[in-house]
Amino acid sequence: MTEPGYETDFWKDAELRKAWDDIVPGEPRKTIPYTLTREAIQKYCRAVGDLHPLYFDEDYARKSRYKGLIAPPAIHILLMFACTPADDWMRSPGTVNAGQSWSYNLPARPGDVIRLDARALDKFIRKDRLFVVHDNVFFNQRDEVICSGRGWTIRPN
Amino acid sequence: MTFDDLKPGQQIAGATFSPTRESIREFCEASLDFNPLHLDDEYTTRNFGKTNFGGIIMHGMNNFGVISRMLTDWSYPIGGVQRRLETRWKIPVKPGDTIKPGAVITATQTTGKSRWATLDIAVLNQRGETVAAGEALVEFPVGV
Repeated sequence: MTEPGYETDFWKDAELRKAWDDIVPGEPRKTIPYTLTREAIQKYCRAVGDLHPLYFDEDYARKSRYKGLIAPPAIHILLMFACTPADDWMRSPGTVNAGQSWSYNLPARPGDVIRLDARALDKFIRKDRLFVVHDNVFFNQRDEVICSGRGWTIRPN
Repeated sequence: MTFDDLKPGQQIAGATFSPTRESIREFCEASLDFNPLHLDDEYTTRNFGKTNFGGIIMHGMNNFGVISRMLTDWSYPIGGVQRRLETRWKIPVKPGDTIKPGAVITATQTTGKSRWATLDIAVLNQRGETVAAGEALVEFPVGV
């Protein structure tokens, strides 16, 4: 089951999303806060085959240096789509992910209310391909940085 | 094993991952990323610039998650914290492939307040081709 409220048909309203021509580097993207749940964390973990007890076993996690359940660092994979609306250009069909780099500060935890600050950072043409670089910072409800990262995408033309 | 035991050239092997159409669908549900490149075979027969995938492909970020798991499985027991991961995708991964991440320590460094290891990352498929490459930074806080 997909979490309620999230569009699974990326063709729907595709024409409303910004194309490469429309994307303005520096312009903030619309984002929406998202409450991270234990279920969403564990669903992500199972999908990548990561069953570490820090994400599943409350007793184990409580006795660890993290003092409770956490999400794995790469939970931003889910957060990127959970914190952006259906008309965000990251959902444009045919978007190709060319690479990403992420820095991690604090782990996200179940119950965190996550906020995303995001923008296009740069756009360029290389070898006939239309690139956009996106820049993202995720914060928790205490305005602490969870992680920050940027990605290189090839846009559909 | 502690930070002091880490030396350049030491290798880390991650767990293999064998994507299927079902696992790719599961990743769509878990990540909320329903890009048709991962769902619609007919769509993937189009040309994307000079690229024709010819069938659905695994999310690049699924690969990112597999690499990150390798780093945390290695670093948690020895007091490490994954601080950075950069990846570049070289070759698409498809259902039926088996990928295996690996890393090699390139350097260790002590700064004013902490200790660090840098690693080169490569993910190989069952043909020995590099499907992803990157670099990682793991911190080993003093006193942990």
